[in-house]
Parts: sequence; C-alpha cells; structure tokens
Amino acid sequence: MNADHATEPNPEAAISVRGLTKRFGSFTAVDGVDFDVARGTIFGFLGPNGSGKTTTIRMLTGTSAPNAGQARVLGEDVALHPERVRPRFGYMSQKFALFEDMTVAENLRFYAGVYNLAPERFAEQRAYVLEMADLKGRENELTANLSVGWRQRLALGTATIHDPELLFLDEPTGGVDPVARRQFWDLLYELAGRGVTLFVTTHYMDEASHCNQLAFIYNGRLIAEGAPADIRHGLRDEWAAAGHPGEPTLEDVFVDLVEREGSVSRRGTTG
Amino acid sequence: MSGRRIRLLIWKEFLQLRRDPLLLRLLFIMPIAQLILFGYVVAADVTNLPTAVVDLDRTATSRALSAHFDASDYFDVVARPAESELQPLMDTGRIGIAIVIPEGTQAALDRGETAPVGVVVDGSDSQVASVGSGYASQIVARFNAERMAGQGVQLAAPGIDARVRVMFNPTLAAVNTMIPGLVAAIVMLSIMAVMGQAVVKERERGTLEQMFVTPIRPTEYLIGKVTPYVLVANVQLLLVALVGVFWFGVPFAGRISVVVAGLALFMLTSIGLGLLISLVSNTRQQAQQLMMLFMLPSFVLSGFIFPIDSMPAAIVPLTWFVPLTWAIQILRGAFIKGSGFEALGTQFLVLTAFAVVLFGAAVAATHRRLAE
Repeated sequence: MNADHATEPNPEAAISVRGLTKRFGSFTAVDGVDFDVARGTIFGFLGPNGSGKTTTIRMLTGTSAPNAGQARVLGEDVALHPERVRPRFGYMSQKFALFEDMTVAENLRFYAGVYNLAPERFAEQRAYVLEMADLKGRENELTANLSVGWRQRLALGTATIHDPELLFLDEPTGGVDPVARRQFWDLLYELAGRGVTLFVTTHYMDEASHCNQLAFIYNGRLIAEGAPADIRHGLRDEWAAAGHPGEPTLEDVFVDLVEREGSVSRRGTTG
Repeated sequence: MSGRRIRLLIWKEFLQLRRDPLLLRLLFIMPIAQLILFGYVVAADVTNLPTAVVDLDRTATSRALSAHFDASDYFDVVARPAESELQPLMDTGRIGIAIVIPEGTQAALDRGETAPVGVVVDGSDSQVASVGSGYASQIVARFNAERMAGQGVQLAAPGIDARVRVMFNPTLAAVNTMIPGLVAAIVMLSIMAVMGQAVVKERERGTLEQMFVTPIRPTEYLIGKVTPYVLVANVQLLLVALVGVFWFGVPFAGRISVVVAGLALFMLTSIGLGLLISLVSNTRQQAQQLMMLFMLPSFVLSGFIFPIDSMPAAIVPLTWFVPLTWAIQILRGAFIKGSGFEALGTQFLVLTAFAVVLFGAAVAATHRRLAE
C-alpha cells in the first residue's frame, strides 16, 4: 500500500514524503508516513481529529521539523530549505487567518507585499481575487464584518495572491454551510484546472470524493491510499459478503478500516 | 532579512493599533491618569495633618513653638486638649499627631538645659508616622535655631539644618520621585503588556501561523512587532516627562544620556518579559492574568509606590529581582541627584544583566517557538 521506505523521494512529484515521523515526547503524532502527490492533482488527506493531519501539514510547510524521514515539497527538502519553498506554495487554515481589524484591500496588500509582488502583478491579482471572492465594491470593508463564506473565499484569495504552484488547505470548509462549501469546491476545481496542486485535509467524506487521490491517516499512520473509486472497490467483496446492500461509500470504507485498526492497536483516537 | 517586509509588518501593526480605539485610548489616558493620581493625590497626603498641641507650660516659649506648628502647611492644629483628653482624640482618629510641651520647658531653656518636647504619632498609618514625626522634629529644630539666633548664639552646624529643610519639602519630593518612577512604569506597561497581548492575539486568530508559512522570517516578525510599541512607549514617556518637568516642575538635574541608556536597557528587559508572557499564554485572558501576577509585585516591590528603605529587611532582597527597581533607581538618580554612569554603576550593571538574559532568552525562545 505504501511506497517503500527505502526508495528515494520522487523529485517530479509536487510532494514526496518518505518515512516522515514526528514525536512529541513519548507520543508519536506521525509515524513513518510515505506518499507522493502528483503535480496538478487534488490530494485529499483524511482522518479524524488528532490523527496527525495538521502535524503532517506543519512538516510539509516547514514550520515543524520531522524527527525522522524526509519531505520533499516542489523538489526541495522543506525542513532544510523552507525559504526556497515558501514563496512557491500557499496555505489556508481552518481559521481563515485574516487580519480582522484590517480591510479586504489591506489584507490583500499585506500578503502581496509579503510575497513581493510587483505593482502591476498585484493590481492583476487583486482584481482576480476580488472577482473570485465576490468582494468587488467591498474592498474597504473590515474583514471582521464579512460573513463566513466571504471570509473563506478571501482567505483563499490571500493564500493564492502570489499564484502558487501548490496550495495547502487545512480543513478549509469547517463551519461553512453546504451551499458555500459547494461554491468553494468549484473554486478549488478552477485552481486545479490551472495546474495548481491542491493538498486538502478534511473530515467530510463527501468532499473526499472530489479528490483525485486520497490518503487516510489514523493514529499517525496511513491506513489507506489511492483513488476514491479504488478505495471503495477494495471493500466491495467483503461488503457484499457481510450482507450489506449496494456499494460501500467512502465513509463505510473508513469506518471499517478504523474499526479494524482499533481492534489491532487498541490505541483509540486522541483529541 | 528584508527591510521591505519589516516595513510592511510595521505598517500592518500601526494600522491595527489605530483600529483598536480602546487600546489606543488606554495607551494615552493611562499615563495622564497616573500622572494626576500620583502627582496630586500621593503628593498631597502629607499636608494638613490634623494636630493637637498639649501646652502644659503655658509660657511665651511654648506659645511660640505652638504657633510654629500652626503656621506650617504640614500641620493643622485642630485641638488644644488637656493631657488626659489626648488619648480619645488619637483613638477616634481626629488627630494624627500630638505635640506635648511639658511644664517647665521655658524654665529649663532659660537655665541653658535641654528641654524635651513630646511628639506623639498615630503609628497605624506608617506614612503619617514617619513623615509627620520628621516634619515635627524639623519644626522644633527651626524653632531652636531662630530662638538661638535671636539670642545671638551661634548654632554648631547651621548649614546641615538648612539643607535638610530644603530636601524635605514634601510636595516637591513626592512628585519628584514619582515622575521618574512613572516613566519607568509606563515603559513596562506599554511594552510588556501591550506587545505581549498583540502577539497572543495573533496566535488566537491564527494569523501568526499563517505568516510563518510565508517568506516572513521570525526575526523580521519580531522587529516588526516590537518597533511600533517601542515608538508608542517613547511618545508616552516623553509626554510624562514633559508634563512632569513643565507642569509639576520636577527638576531635571541629570544627563540625558544616562536616562536614555537606562530606558533603553529597561525597554529590552520589558520586551523580553512581554515575549515570554506571550510565549506561555494561549489566550489573551491568560496573558492578562500573567501580566497582573507580574505587575503587582513589580509596583509594590520596586520602590515605585512604597520606599524600599521602609520595607522589612527580609523583603528587601526580593526587590533586587524586580527589574523595575533598578530602572527606577537609575531614573530617580538621574532626575533628582544628577547621578552619572559612575554613581549608578551597580544599577546599570544589574539592568544590563536583566536585559541580556531576559531579552536574549525571550528572543531565542520565541524564535524557536515561531520557527517550530
């Protein structure tokens, strides 16, 4: 299921991870994880709360150093050279980390400055983001006054203001209503269509089916990996044998995997 | 490190500061409120002390001494009771101090003998007790000097008495020591409290995490965060110093370089403390509580409000561990006594040690935490 620990990371992949491990004291948050994310794909990184999703993202963005293993992001060892990779990816967290006491335009200007966008490029990107986030005419509103859907799209806009090759999205749809979630996924498809690689964590299984590739992490270890259809088909025979009607959904597969895993390790979920 | 990104961070910080009307008001009302509080209330508490004079001598001399107390601003003679009525007056708090002139005072003086005068002080208020008895003995001393001068007798060392009198002008002394202390206290409050809060706010909202996946380096972030608050603190203390010098007439006897050096060291110390607090706090409430935990002992133990000299000997070593103590000593020394670097060598040494250790540790720890 996993790539061989012994193999070298794949330099062609947008993200290539081998034996990635993070320990906090005696607790192993991420335990020898291997996976590749091909360029231009939407990669869904799934798992219950506390399973190691955010810790993995932190290692991939170079904000947390792994205790073992390697993470190559856009061809660079991110732990060694975060400064080479950071200008090339974007990151959007579940908090939609905007400066709430600054206006829409000021937030955009700040992040454009951080990525050192030339004035004409900034003007282009600003127009694009305002269009995309449906915030035209609201440039001078304080971010705090925007409702969740708009904040979410503005956060996506600030995270992509520098036109990154790769975008990390850490539970980007938390607390957002289904209509806004659908609209948001349309925006993600649009980004993917332009060749941006998307690394998305979520625990909404309906969102998982939007992805090209999935990896399921539980208790710090990958317990399933593959295209959504393949993962579902893997369980089909057992599912029929157990007398269940129809095809197993992704949710059925993961519940089944977690139950099996739980009976083996008895570690239970944390947090 | 990029100067452009640092400027951007400073721009952002000022923008946010401007949008926080409560904080902004606090930053400028607080020093002014404290000036008024300490400049007037604290300074005024030793004047017009309710006084009783018990005159058992009933001579020209005793009446003249009594008149000296009456004429003084510090004492307000409210009663001339018999000796037996003194205790109830003191018990009910109607008087804070009593002067007892025994029978035979004039006779003793005429014989060239020393005549004792009793000063009874309400010790339940230590401030009144120490200050009041001090002024009382001065008035007696002045009375002595005038009496002897009138008789053509030279006082052994008249110069010493004269100097003591000038330095003990209470209204002046209180403001004079308060304002330099206030300057240091404001530096501590503005930088440590406000900056610490600002970092924690950023963590709460997730913008800290967001900024550190961008090309912003921890050092750039720190400089961008610290600079605006250092500037604000400078405006505040300039305000306090100007009001102190021009409104309250606090004399500035010292060298600017001593004040600037002392303040710079103390600012580094405060930045360090603010960062350390922001590092261990996950919410602004936690940071607030930690601040209070730190501020209260600092104000009480540093000599800002209560003189260290009047603290119990066992407590005094604790004051050495409070950075504010040393900052206040430097500022008071420079303001009032005109002390230079030589005279304040120990204070500068200790404050430098605090600055290096606290600022160094905080920056290293913040760097690690931010980078982690």
